[in-house]
Amino acid sequence: MPTDSRRVPGPQDSRSPHWYGKHATRQEGDTRPDGRGDHDLRPVYLHAGVVSQATGSAYIEMGQTKVIAAVYGPREIARREEFTMKGRLCCELKFATFACRRRRQHIQDNQEKDGALIVLQALEPAVCLDRFPKSQVDVYITVLQDDGSALAAAITCAAAGLADAGVMMYDIVAGCSVRQCGERQLLDPSVGEELSQEGESAEDHGMVTVGLLPSLNQVSALTLDGHLQQQTAVQAVKTCIGGCQGIYPILKDCLVTSTRKKIPALDPKSSHASTEGQNGQT
Amino acid sequence: MAGLEIISDQGYRIDGRRSSELRKVCARMGVFTQADGSAYIEQGNTKALATVYGPHEVRKGRGKIQHDRAVVNCQFSMATFSTGERKSRPKGDRRSQEMSMHLRQTFEAVIVTELFPRSQIDIYVQILQADGGNYCACVNAATLAVIDAGIPMKDYVCACTAGFIQDSPLLDISYVEESAGAPFLTVAMMPKSEQIVLLEMNSRLHADNMEKVLDLATQGCKDVFAVLDRHVRDHVSESHALMTAS
Amino acid sequence: MSSTLGVLSDAERLFIVHGVQDDLRSDGRACEDYRHVQVETDVVSNTSGSARLRLGNTDILVGVKAEMGEPDPGRPKEGKLEFFVDCSANASPEFEGRGGEELAIEVSNALQRIFNSRSTLDLTALCIIPEGQCWVLYVDVLVLECGGNLFDAVSLAVKAALFNTRIPTVVVTADDEGQQEIELSDDPYDVKRLDVDNVPLIVTLSKIGHRHVVDASWEEELCSLARLTVGVTQKGTIAGLNKEGSGSLDPESIYEMIESGKKVGMVLNSRLKEALEKEENSKREKIGFLG
Repeated sequence: MPTDSRRVPGPQDSRSPHWYGKHATRQEGDTRPDGRGDHDLRPVYLHAGVVSQATGSAYIEMGQTKVIAAVYGPREIARREEFTMKGRLCCELKFATFACRRRRQHIQDNQEKDGALIVLQALEPAVCLDRFPKSQVDVYITVLQDDGSALAAAITCAAAGLADAGVMMYDIVAGCSVRQCGERQLLDPSVGEELSQEGESAEDHGMVTVGLLPSLNQVSALTLDGHLQQQTAVQAVKTCIGGCQGIYPILKDCLVTSTRKKIPALDPKSSHASTEGQNGQT
Repeated sequence: MAGLEIISDQGYRIDGRRSSELRKVCARMGVFTQADGSAYIEQGNTKALATVYGPHEVRKGRGKIQHDRAVVNCQFSMATFSTGERKSRPKGDRRSQEMSMHLRQTFEAVIVTELFPRSQIDIYVQILQADGGNYCACVNAATLAVIDAGIPMKDYVCACTAGFIQDSPLLDISYVEESAGAPFLTVAMMPKSEQIVLLEMNSRLHADNMEKVLDLATQGCKDVFAVLDRHVRDHVSESHALMTAS
Repeated sequence: MSSTLGVLSDAERLFIVHGVQDDLRSDGRACEDYRHVQVETDVVSNTSGSARLRLGNTDILVGVKAEMGEPDPGRPKEGKLEFFVDCSANASPEFEGRGGEELAIEVSNALQRIFNSRSTLDLTALCIIPEGQCWVLYVDVLVLECGGNLFDAVSLAVKAALFNTRIPTVVVTADDEGQQEIELSDDPYDVKRLDVDNVPLIVTLSKIGHRHVVDASWEEELCSLARLTVGVTQKGTIAGLNKEGSGSLDPESIYEMIESGKKVGMVLNSRLKEALEKEENSKREKIGFLG
């Protein structure tokens, strides 16, 4: 793998102490380490219009997971090879070097490229690409802190950014993950739950991420890591879809707020006490 | 490699050949269906695969268009598992770029490019297993692939190596003999017209011995030609038989 | 990915979609039929294991090389498996230079996904000295021709190559000062094999019209907007799953696709196992690319 020679690399044999840590998925009784039930989402904060230079942008927090997305375009395809009637959507996903427990490199690695492709394919069915001949829309996503379900947060955030940019869409996309540990299904897992080895030896263990177009009820992204029985896999997808539907109202609410702010006539600051920032969990 | 004896007292080489013997050459034309032409060749343990696309419209970089002839585009790559120690990259390193350039020069000389102005011919070669004489296997495979694609050539191009080890010239040297550090010559030639298309030598060889080694390499190229020609004829008569049968 | 391979007219597209609707595809197969698969192992002699596979017009060569390396600090008692995919320019002129890289990463990520789980391959068997040395298996995939359904073909070839892989036996001895020494067996028949029973195969299900097909040819791939790649083990466990393509899918049809993926995948696994065992026990001359 090529490394960036302009930056000072750390010592080659350094190791993060987190390698040696243990990850727990349950506290006393049956609640999760942060006190949630198995099928509860973490509190979500979603805010659109955070990057002033971008056409549209959004910032999401799901628990400690923080993701920011900026959308540019539609703009002309820079080095256009051939004419296309359909517009092109480009997506770039990057974890900040400090986002995870181990330090990440500045150069996009394979996991990030894979994630970018999943997000891209999650967004593509939602965007009316035939409205943008010979142009492209760029989506840049940065994961600022990964505390689990980063991919799901990236999907939700990018979709909110696209909508904020005024890109024509058939529907919004909501993302959600489930971690399966044996019999347990943990919705919206935190990083400890993602990495925990509970249930590794059980027949069913794995992680499922779904991107859903909620009002069309179509699944636009689906990825599963691990080993699951067919029944469990189907069940996990269903739980994810449920989770996505839980995020949908928050997305809607956030977009309404940001649109109101853009059009002064619609912004009755006096009558609506600012609802922004209170998009708690539903 | 100091302790290794390249030629035994009885005059046999490590793999049991005499000094002027080629390794066994097996070839097959028309390996793939989607390419315009393809061929596979085995020379001993060196295995190469060549595919030819074209002549077609110039795709990338319209600046390359030649108004009076076709552009020949070559790419050489080696499978990461082809060598004893694993290679990290199949192509793009300096060695393979040089190899691609040599192949391009070789085939520009023999393909009748004037027949296809403003077009491009792609030749892609891939080494699947490397055991010395990679360039030769590539040229021989590419010749068969170009013939399979039906692109007119002035003549075949056949390539062969010859080395000079322990005061005697050796034909078609293998990887072990190559890495013994002795001088060796790579020759690509058009066997009928006896024109040399590419000649390359590394290391140092006394001028008096040069002729001996070159003669041996030339003879090797002609031997390769005999084998390739037989394969082409077999292939054509086979395809002809298939066509008339249906 | 498929756009690199050509274009289809509306009439051709309609023909294929209507055919799929009636469970009769243009090459005469039903929706859940595979094309003829040819597999041969041990084709590249300087690898630890290799396999060449032809599925229709898709041609894959896989070489596995075992080398010694250091284990990951997080998993000190396990060996490593590294995937590298090379989409050779032989397959399509589009892949020249760096053109094939995007597809190559997609394929290697798909492989990574199905091999991600610990129950897939017993990596502890690849450990030599815990926290010191382990075997690193480099699985190098070479795509020689692309005739549709690349993912399934690659996973079949990888499993065949891993089945064929032989790792030399090593003996670790400690001298008086506690220095550990690794001794490699000289005997070429003194080798270890891998247990590949749990290695999953990828089954790609392409949604065409209202139905889905397995093992799509490249024409059919062009007609499909959404695909599901499902990793299936011999026992029918789902090991890795990903939706690809620019379309979306109905939840109900996803469940159906997972079910038929499982069904087809189990048959595929047992057929491959049969074929590999049969090949190993027969003393047939190797044909390689000359056949």
